[in-house]
Order: sequence, then C-alpha cells, then structure tokens
Amino acid sequence: MSEHPPSMNSRERVLAALNRQPVDRTPLCNPTSVATVELMDLVDAPFPDANRKPELMARLAATGYTELGFDTIMPVFSIIQESAALGCKIQWEQKDNWPTVRMNEPIWTSPDDINVPADLCTHPDTRCVTDAIKILRKEYGDEVAVIGKTMGPWSLGYHCFGVEPFLLMSLDDPGKTKLCLDRMKEITVEYGLAQIEAGADALTLPDHATGDLVSGEYYERYLRDLHIEMAERLPVPIILHICGRTVDRMEYIAQTGMAAFHFDSKNTPMESMEIVKERIALVGNINNPETLFSKGPEVVREEVYRNLDAGVQLVGPECAIPLQTSIENLKEIPRAVRDWHAAYDR
Amino acid sequence: MAEIGDIANEFIRDEIDEFLEKENERNHIVELFAQTRPLLQDIAAALIDGAHEEVDGLTQQALSEGIEALEIMDDGLIAGMGIVGIKFRDNFIFVPEVLACARAMKAGMAHIEPILSDSGVEPVGTVVMGTVKGDLHDIGKNLCIMMLRGAGFVVHDLGVDTSEDEFIEAIEEHGAKLLGMSALLTTTMPNMGKTIEAFIDEDLRDDIKIMVGGAPVTPEFAEDMGADGYGKDALSCVELAKELLSE
Repeated sequence: MSEHPPSMNSRERVLAALNRQPVDRTPLCNPTSVATVELMDLVDAPFPDANRKPELMARLAATGYTELGFDTIMPVFSIIQESAALGCKIQWEQKDNWPTVRMNEPIWTSPDDINVPADLCTHPDTRCVTDAIKILRKEYGDEVAVIGKTMGPWSLGYHCFGVEPFLLMSLDDPGKTKLCLDRMKEITVEYGLAQIEAGADALTLPDHATGDLVSGEYYERYLRDLHIEMAERLPVPIILHICGRTVDRMEYIAQTGMAAFHFDSKNTPMESMEIVKERIALVGNINNPETLFSKGPEVVREEVYRNLDAGVQLVGPECAIPLQTSIENLKEIPRAVRDWHAAYDR
Repeated sequence: MAEIGDIANEFIRDEIDEFLEKENERNHIVELFAQTRPLLQDIAAALIDGAHEEVDGLTQQALSEGIEALEIMDDGLIAGMGIVGIKFRDNFIFVPEVLACARAMKAGMAHIEPILSDSGVEPVGTVVMGTVKGDLHDIGKNLCIMMLRGAGFVVHDLGVDTSEDEFIEAIEEHGAKLLGMSALLTTTMPNMGKTIEAFIDEDLRDDIKIMVGGAPVTPEFAEDMGADGYGKDALSCVELAKELLSE
C-alpha cells in the first residue's frame, strides 16, 4: 500500500479494489445491509416501508455513507425483493424485524413450474430497488459506489421450492436440480441487468450454498459453472456472498471470475487469503452477532486490523447486521481502517 | 469386548471403518451393533443410506416378526441415526444427506410411534421447541425434535417465527421444564436474548432450563444471551437436554 495513488473518492476506491487495482486506502464496503433501528429513526425511514418505498429505501441506505462513513451505499436490505415479484408469500414484518419469505409455503415443485414473470423487474417490490438506485445515483453522482443485489439461483431455490424440498431434490435428482438452477439463473441475470441499467456500480450476488448446509463439492457440482456464466453476463463487478464456513469451496469460488467474495467470520482472513490468492478480492469479515452486536468498539477494531493485516481488499461486516446493532460499533470500522492506514502508510 | 467382525451387516462395518474416527465412539458403536439382531442392523443400514422405502418395509417386517417397537426404534432407527449424527458432526455428510436419513427415520417411526404412545411409556422429559421471531428456518430445529422424540422426550413444536409470548404460553400450558430455541440468521439471533428477557420479566426464568442452537449460534453467544446450554447439532441437543434436566 506504500505506492498508493493520490486521494480517491469513495466510488473510485471501491471500483479500483474490486478490480484489484491500487487504492489510496482500503475501502469500507457494505455488500449486504448496515440498516439499523437507530438509523431508521435518524432519517425517519423505518422497516417495513424502507423495503417497499423507493424514497425511504434510498434515504435509509444513504446513511451507510453519510452517517457511518462507508464507501458504498447498498439499498437492498433484504433478500426477498425478487421473490416477492415471483409470487412467494412474504412476511414484511415490523420496524425491528427483517422481512422474510414464507418458505414453508413453496410456490414451485418442478422445473416446469419455473416461470420468469413479465413484470419481474417492474413489480412494485423489484422496481422499488431500481427506483432507489436511480434516486441515489442522482443524489450522489459519482462520489460513492452504489451496489445492487440480485439473488443467485441456489437462494431462489430455497425461497421458491422451500429449503428442505430443494435440498432433498439436490440429492434425489441432480439432473432435475441442475435444470431448475439453469432456469432460475435467468431471474438472477435479468434482475441484475435492471439494476445495472438503473445505475448500480456493482452487484452483490448472494447464493447461500453455505458450509452449514452443503459440501464444497456441492458448490463445484451445482454452482461454479453457473457463477462463471453470471460473472460473464453481468457487466459490472460481482460480489458473491455466501454465509458460514466456506474455505472448502473458496478454491472453486476463486475460479469463477467474480470480482469479489464476501466472506463470513467463520473463516479467518489469513486462511481465506491464502486460498484465493490474487484471483478474487475478499470483502469482510467483521463478526455480526458476537462483535458488532454484543461487544464494544475495541473488539471491532481488533477484527478490522486482523483483516487489514491479512491483506483483505475491502473491509465491512460479514453479512447483514442485526437491526439493533449500535451505530458506535459500526462507526468504529471506518475509524479503525483510517487509523491502521495512518500507522502503516507513514 | 466385541469386534467389528461380530457385526453381521457389511454396510454398517464399512461405515464404522470409514467414518468413526474417535476410538471411544467406535468401540461404543461396535459394541452396540454386535449385540443387535441382523434385521435391525439392516434397518440401521438402510436409514444411514437414506433409503426411506426400505426402512419403511423393514420396520413393518420387524414388527410382523414380533420384535418389540421399542427395540426396533432403539437398536435400528436411533442406532442408525447415531452414526448419521457423527458423520454430520465431522463433516462427512451435510444437510441434504441428513434430511434423507431423517426422511427414512420418519418412515420407520410412522409404524413405531402409534405403538409406543399406546403403551404408556413414561417420557424422559417435556420440551418446548421453536424457531425465534422473524426466522422461518426450521431444518435444524426439526432434526433436533426428531432426535429428542426418538430419545423418549415429549416435544411440543411451536414451529417458526415464534414470539416471546408464544414461548411463555407453551411452557405454562405444557408444564415443560426445558425450552429449546433455534435461529439460522445472525439478524434474528438477538431474539433469543429477547425471549430469555421475557421469561425473566415474567418471573419464570428460574423455573426452566433454556437451550439454544442454530448455524450462526456459538457457545459464547449462548452464554452472553443468558441461555443454560448450547447444542451444536441434533445429536448434542439430545445429550444437552438430558444433562439440563438432570441438574
């Protein structure tokens, strides 16, 4: 980092890091959600409306940049916007809870049921996101990176088929499962392209083939090639997000051509960097429940330093943070990054 | 002491050789299966293989041959799930494979449960289980419930998205001494703490033991939330439940 370029703005910094080019300092990146109840109150943009009204969505999302000091704005707080458009039953919840898909009421059981509706990107709950991206782009121009989010086919499988039926199908009938994934992939691409057209600089692509549920071999068998294809078809940097322990599949993930992998604190920064090497940037991995939610700023700082010491290219929380997380802990992330660079770059 | 060669079923022998790495566990399982009837070994093998139709047929066969329902459950179904639990814990298999085994266990239990409930066997304990508010994931919870029921517990399943009030009402209604809460999301884990606080507010906390689990939950988090115990998986959930009720 000693030969870093002169001062960059947030957007330049994030895009450079995602393209593994030199940066003036490590960018602070939020690929999932840093929305909290405190921030909702601060800008009067509470859940559930902030998930359904573009103006509120944009206003709450912007606080990641204006209040917390991240280099990114991520307006898609949840993982259910396109599933709502597909016809899944959604529990929109209240201010202090996340909206969720009622996965025990699946809408599909076979590949023939998979239907990409004509209004996928114009349905109110998907258009809310594209409209919010347009608002943010207009308001902040090119000063900050606006990141969109499009769910991968494995996650859509959980939502639309139900987690248990989908996982059992993957074991009972791999051919049928691959056909389903291949068809659902078009939803991922179509919604991703709509967000790019609206002005997204990059996309998070959550696809929850987590080590808590399936093996690394599963990732290779079912998803690696699909992710390669998606990285080719979506013309912005893609940040793959998979929760949980993933070191057993990072080798495959590094082969996808995606710009970055948003990794969980169950994987240490050092071991993860050693696996992916220079093939994909890493984003992460400050622990949510134990550190950001339960501990104080000094522990947050330690985790930030651990990531920076390991060479992680973009720093941020490991996943969407609990809504009751304190702003003070979140603000410690940028403070720690700046302090680390002040000491290291001297 | 029994030898692995004393086990009639080749599939079980291979499973033990390939997947049971801890000596004490291996010895225990060998001892168990060496004393088990060949037909019940076949049930266990089919269950480990996730072959639910085979388990269904073999369980009916065992009952028709006059083998006691309790013996079929203990030495066939639960013994098989014991090996499945170890393979899952040690990352030899993952959730899809466990779900297939659970489906096989359910196929067998469909014949066993009605007989056991008619026989009036005293339960080991009563447990209320649920996934916390805002969380709709239930695979892990369901696996725990299946294993707890198999181990002789009466379990009242509150399903997913369970509020503090629903947990409290169920504990009071069923007179349960043990509560199990599950969460799969880091965003919903704090609701475990909220539920525990609600029990404190209602002056009920000292009357019950509370165990928690779920993929992102850790022993440290469980302790911070004020839970009495943390279970990593369905197998350890049963051990934890027994331990907490014996305190």
